[in-house]
Amino acid sequence: MAEVTLSKVRKSYGAVDIIHGVDLDISDGEFVVLVGPSGCGKSTLLRMIAGLEIITGGDIRIGGRVVNDLDPKDRDIAMVFQNYALYPHMTVGTNMGFSLEHRGASKAQIAERVNWAADILGLSHLLERYPRQLSGGQRQRVAMGRAIVRDPQVFLFDEPLSNLDAKLRVVMRGEIKTLHQKLKTTTIYVTHDQVEAMTMADKIVVLNGGRVEQIGAPLDLYDQPANRFVAGFIGSPAMNFLDGTITSEGFIAPGIVLPLPEAAHGFHGRKAVYGIRPEHFTLHDSGVPAEIVLVEPMGSETQVTMKLGETQVIGVFRERVALLSGATIRVRPDLASLHLFSNNGGQRLI
Amino acid sequence: MKAELSARRQVFLYGLMCVLLIPFVFPTWWMVTSSVKPISDIFAFPPHLVPQNYDWTTYRKVFELQPFVRQYWNSAYIAALVTIGTMIVSSMAGYAFARIRFPFANTIFMIVLLGLLIPAEVTIVPLFQMFLKAGMVNTHWPLILVPIFGAPSVFATFIMRQFFVTLPTELEEAARVDGLGRFTIFRKIALPLAKPALASVAIFTFLHSWNLFLEPIVFLSSADKFTLPQALTQYTDAYGGPMWNIQLAAATLTALPVLMVFIIAQKHFVEGLAHTGLKG
Ligand SMILES: Nc1ncnc2c1ncn2[C@@H]1O[C@H](COP(=O)(O)OP(=O)(O)OP(=O)(O)O)[C@@H](O)[C@H]1O
Ligand SMILES: [Mg+2]
Repeated sequence: MAEVTLSKVRKSYGAVDIIHGVDLDISDGEFVVLVGPSGCGKSTLLRMIAGLEIITGGDIRIGGRVVNDLDPKDRDIAMVFQNYALYPHMTVGTNMGFSLEHRGASKAQIAERVNWAADILGLSHLLERYPRQLSGGQRQRVAMGRAIVRDPQVFLFDEPLSNLDAKLRVVMRGEIKTLHQKLKTTTIYVTHDQVEAMTMADKIVVLNGGRVEQIGAPLDLYDQPANRFVAGFIGSPAMNFLDGTITSEGFIAPGIVLPLPEAAHGFHGRKAVYGIRPEHFTLHDSGVPAEIVLVEPMGSETQVTMKLGETQVIGVFRERVALLSGATIRVRPDLASLHLFSNNGGQRLI
Repeated sequence: MKAELSARRQVFLYGLMCVLLIPFVFPTWWMVTSSVKPISDIFAFPPHLVPQNYDWTTYRKVFELQPFVRQYWNSAYIAALVTIGTMIVSSMAGYAFARIRFPFANTIFMIVLLGLLIPAEVTIVPLFQMFLKAGMVNTHWPLILVPIFGAPSVFATFIMRQFFVTLPTELEEAARVDGLGRFTIFRKIALPLAKPALASVAIFTFLHSWNLFLEPIVFLSSADKFTLPQALTQYTDAYGGPMWNIQLAAATLTALPVLMVFIIAQKHFVEGLAHTGLKG
């Protein structure tokens, strides 16, 4: 159990800067998810915390201790890799007990810890098998078992679910979360899947191009994205953006005028980006006209691709919309859930 | 209908394989059968595939004419030492070239590989002078040391390096997190997984040493130090003509371990292959 602190952590490969000064405070027992598009440096950051990558600048502290120059083995962390990295020539039981064995634990101690972990993860009947004799989900569990037997201060996960099919991913997501609630070990979890981030995290760190875009609780990021990048990244389907100008009549976008909340008054005359989530449209006779492009019924809701003026947006409605493309509906953006971003830099205006 | 076709096809394929087998099997057959024929029968025309008369004394004479047991032992222990030595050197060197970042690693690897291009015949004279100075001529040392640090080992190093390069780095990183140091990772993770590569290294190194001919002839001069390929040339009559049946009896005995190595190592091959791969 430990808090993890990153201050001004940087990484460069030769002349190329990959991580540009990341500051991050993780409290004891917290489940933190690092999320961001491919290549943004999530894995690099995690591997620096693990000690698998040299730190170019800044400090990393685990449990108050600066670990910059410590070997992975001396950092008291455990890591679950994307491809599981189970030792193919060892049985499940040996895989799980390997680190303890190497640290000189007695046979009885090892057996006790391995059985404890196997019990938690439902692996007890598989201890004699080899990794190649396991399914993807079972391998995933063994990899987690190998991490928890040692009772480390911090768990590190690098996209652990990306090799599983969609259904199993949901199951394992739940299992990891349950495990965390049981063990309460500080966890840093990397994913590029914002749904995983939203559902699992106590705190999300959104990374982009080696910089932190925003840190916050999942719903805070959803409700109050700091900038256009976070707004577009968190939430599915993604937020709609329209370019235009804030005026006293409303938001003038190509081919349409959209309503604005009171708070936009201060920005009259300013060019901006109008951000509205698909689920924040409602069908209403007094709404703005939208030409239907595509209707996708999901059962519980209907996803409609439509044109607001000249911009194509997506709306999600509870009602069933049984209309063909070309028809016009009237939709009203929920002004309380509306976002306005600066048109350069994308900072949040309101 | 389809099954019938494929059955016919199978018969054809097996037939073809049998025909292709002849050039490989016939010499062995000829060697074994001729080793128990009286010498006159070997040259009988038309030749007999199955011996008409048996002369088992050839096998006794193999041991009477030469210190054959001693020579057998020489070949065996030299090949064993060379194999073990080469496995150690090549696995460690191969791992280092594949995984440890040291200055000029690739250049050094290339230079090492260049050693393969130089034929043994070219280096044998300087080697002889070297070992002469070291007082090792007419000892087994040259036959042990030259392969372990020479071309066969270079080739083995190449094979091992190519294998270690393909080993997922995640495995070693997992081991680092689990608390292992570089050498322990090599010994407990990389090496066990390298079994199939090691097995092929073992096979060809053993065979290479077992079949070594030029070096023993150059370096050894007394019969009790001879290795088997060299000893085979010694079964001659008073006029220097080969005593074919006795020579072939000795050759049969010489070929036995080779067959055994193949049979044993083949099993390891298959076993080892099943163990590799992350996904398995
Ligand atoms: N050894 C290296 N040398 C040079 N650049 C590297 C090296 N390793 C990674 N990079 C670069 O660093 C950046 C971040 O890589 P990283 O693996 O951390 O991305 P990621 O966020 O984990 O992406 P993904 O979601 O695809 O796994 C990438 O642009 C990558 O090209
Ligand atoms: Mg990654």
